[in-house]
Amino acid sequence: MKVPNLTIALLAALLPISSAQAHHAFGAEFDPNRPLLIKGEVIKVEWVNPHAWIHISREMEDGTTESWMVEGGTPNTLLRRGITRDSLKPGIYLVVDGYQSKDRSNRANGRNITYADGTTLFLGSSGTGAPRDGADPRDRPR
Amino acid sequence: MSALVGCGDPETSSIADYETSLDVEQLMHYVLEPAADIVWDSAGTIATLEGVEDLAPTTDEGWFRVQHAAAVVTESGNLLLMPGRAEDGNDWREISLGLVSTGTALMNAAEEQNADAIFDLGGQLYNVCVACHQRYWMENDQ
Repeated sequence: MKVPNLTIALLAALLPISSAQAHHAFGAEFDPNRPLLIKGEVIKVEWVNPHAWIHISREMEDGTTESWMVEGGTPNTLLRRGITRDSLKPGIYLVVDGYQSKDRSNRANGRNITYADGTTLFLGSSGTGAPRDGADPRDRPR
Repeated sequence: MSALVGCGDPETSSIADYETSLDVEQLMHYVLEPAADIVWDSAGTIATLEGVEDLAPTTDEGWFRVQHAAAVVTESGNLLLMPGRAEDGNDWREISLGLVSTGTALMNAAEEQNADAIFDLGGQLYNVCVACHQRYWMENDQ
């Protein structure tokens, strides 16, 4: 029986991320050659170490939605950048740019998030080997 | 047995030899990572449109499990310093001792059943991990 991709994505969104799965270098899980933009409503936020995870109902070009999971930095680093548990909560609308996972599942490493009021903040972790794409203010120019 | 013979005797304990049967990667996989996962999974929240779930333990047994994991984290720092595993006496030593101090603080926080401290120290633990990975492992992971 072929299981629709959307069903797989929805099931994946319901499962919590284990820390072991979440603890990795960028290059071990995400593809620097697959940048993407995710827009949609936040449906779930895992405010946990070592990485926060944002679950988004992504608006697709054909009008449908898909459940995506976006990895962020540690909650403590997000707090220092102004991303709080109160500002990042289910029901808000977000735009996230990041990189898709190597296995092509609906998972991404987040770089920047933009709130509905236009505020853009760095979501990622420093020092994980993510591409130097200008998102991380701690990246030193080569 | 020489390590046991020398136990408690300052004259001989410094010349004890070791059998480091696990290499560093195995030590990470079988000892440190599972313990760190328990720490990380024991603090934080999961928010959905329906409500917020707090991940902190709610029983004495649950807190003991965190304390046990913190003890493993603490002693993993010393295991990394053993001859046969230590890469050098500089950064490697400093980072390993960072693991010891963070693990000790986690043990105290678990004993006090302080979920906020476990959460903050969980972020600190991740920073120690990243510091070591950046210095000794990340380049090979790309």
